[in-house]
Amino acid sequence: MSALSTSTATRLIRTEFRLTFRDPLVLTFVLVFPIVTMLIIGGSFGTTPDPSFEGVNPSHWYVASYLTVVVAATGLVMMPVHLASYRERGVLRRFAVAGFPRWSFAIAQLVIGIVTIVVAGVLLLLVAAPVYGIPAVHDVWRVVAGLTLGAIGFVSIGVLLGTLLPSARAAQAVGLLLFFPSFLLGAGGPPPQVMGSALRAVSDFLPLTWVTTSIRQPWLGIGTPTGTLVEVAALAVVATVVAVRRSAL
Amino acid sequence: MANTDTEAVVTVRGLHKRYGDRTVVNGLDLDVHAGEVLGLIGANGAGKTTTVECIQGLRRPDSGVLRVLGCDPVRDAERLRPMLGSQLQDSALPDRLRVGEAIELFATDRAHNGDDLLAQFGLIERRKAAFASMSGGERQRLFLVLALLNRPRLVILDELTQGLDPAARRDVWAAVAQLRDAGTTVLLVTHELDEAEVLCGRVVAMRSGRVLDQGPPADLISRHAPWAMIRFAWSRPGVDDLLADLRPLPGVQVVATTPGRVEVRGTRQSIAYVGAELVKRGAVPDDLSVELPDLESALLHLLDEPDTPVEFGRSRNIAKTGPTDHALAGANR
Ligand SMILES: Nc1ncnc2c1ncn2[C@@H]1O[C@H](COP(=O)(O)OP(=O)(O)O)[C@@H](O)[C@H]1O
Ligand SMILES: [Mg+2]
Repeated sequence: MSALSTSTATRLIRTEFRLTFRDPLVLTFVLVFPIVTMLIIGGSFGTTPDPSFEGVNPSHWYVASYLTVVVAATGLVMMPVHLASYRERGVLRRFAVAGFPRWSFAIAQLVIGIVTIVVAGVLLLLVAAPVYGIPAVHDVWRVVAGLTLGAIGFVSIGVLLGTLLPSARAAQAVGLLLFFPSFLLGAGGPPPQVMGSALRAVSDFLPLTWVTTSIRQPWLGIGTPTGTLVEVAALAVVATVVAVRRSAL
Repeated sequence: MANTDTEAVVTVRGLHKRYGDRTVVNGLDLDVHAGEVLGLIGANGAGKTTTVECIQGLRRPDSGVLRVLGCDPVRDAERLRPMLGSQLQDSALPDRLRVGEAIELFATDRAHNGDDLLAQFGLIERRKAAFASMSGGERQRLFLVLALLNRPRLVILDELTQGLDPAARRDVWAAVAQLRDAGTTVLLVTHELDEAEVLCGRVVAMRSGRVLDQGPPADLISRHAPWAMIRFAWSRPGVDDLLADLRPLPGVQVVATTPGRVEVRGTRQSIAYVGAELVKRGAVPDDLSVELPDLESALLHLLDEPDTPVEFGRSRNIAKTGPTDHALAGANR
């Protein structure tokens, strides 16, 4: 990597960062939507520990679940729409012909995806803190591992979808179609204990459920799902490898 | 060795490119010399963009040899691209990117001062404007600025004035003329022949992926449209006499009349003979006019012929297009 290319990546990251936080889709869908839905759902079941919520305070259960809503909104909606629109409008060709190496764009997307998740996640917790309180984190390292691997996995899925889908509209349609079931069954909807067996089976099958479980259980001290964490790690590795291969020339 | 005047910046030999089983560039040869503005002209679909995309290394040719600034565009893309300044057809910037930020994004260590360029192309006031808020002409001027930003050795402009109103077109033309006068090497792709005639020292005309003819615009005009059209009003008696006297004049090809008007088509020399005849008769009309063809009228029919798919790899192909090309390259149409 020459100095020139390295500074290319820096310039791209700086630009993409600005654009990301000017994008109304990002502002509404990644920053605001998770907060609003968390406030509504988190306040719907009271604060008394409940067996449907594995014996914890339902509000805390949702606070510990909603970081993955941000992960899904970023990976399934924001990134695919962003990338597909860049390709559709010839922005990627312009980057290529300006001599930006492909990897510099891939790195920029990875960085922006992760940064967006961190910013939106912090904002979510800042709003949750005075309203529902932040539940104590029982096993910090497992939570950090689950969140990091899940974020990398979903950002890579986002890059992959962005390279596969032909237009921003298609990306938006497919992204929302993937997002809402994942959101309702895998993060922000009813707890698995109250789902029927069919829904439960679908939920167990969703990658977002794996990520949520690998964060929520160690956070609330209701389990140490090592198997799930391994699944999330595998997801991150596979998605990243495929995404890198797809976006290589 | 090549001297500096004609140093080859781009050399293309036998370029072929197909999409599926459709051949879009079919054995194209092209040279761009240092310091010239070369126009690559042809109707929509002729294969111009595909050709320049091969030169930029954005597409991989099926066969043929390409050297661009000493590089193979695909293999040496990393080395070549910083030396190119490209304005692409159908390529936008992100809507919310501002002009100043675009400069920041694309400027490398070698870059010109961005503000100087923005000022030169009349965009300095728009530094804070988002791409989406810019007019078509402003966008194209921004693309020019970006194409020039990193002191490229070759500037490639593809349909620079597409979709612009006449005033914006003139602005952009003036900008390209500045480049030409500064000695920048430019490959200008356009389907608008008046643009090529105004801006280019030399043009290469292509159709269906092949070169039809090339040379300075004036040469192409005299080769493909060597005639002149002389028109005047004639209300006196004796029009038949006049026509009979004009017809045998050297260079006169067609003499036609509508009530009250005479039209003479002939070589450029015939202008002098027709004029002399009118003077001799002591009847020089007030409204005498001479129309000389421009590049557009010279090449329009040539370039706009139906874009029949070219059959590939058979002698049939040569038999079909060969004689046509010959006839068209000859002096008379
Ligand atoms: N990616 C592509 N896939 C298939 N056909 C294409 C593609 N790009 C261009 N073409 C076709 O190739 C022909 C030449 O296109 P192009 O090089 O853009 O011509 P020009 O720039 O002279 O208008 C056109 O008929 C166009 O439809
Ligand atoms: Mg074109």
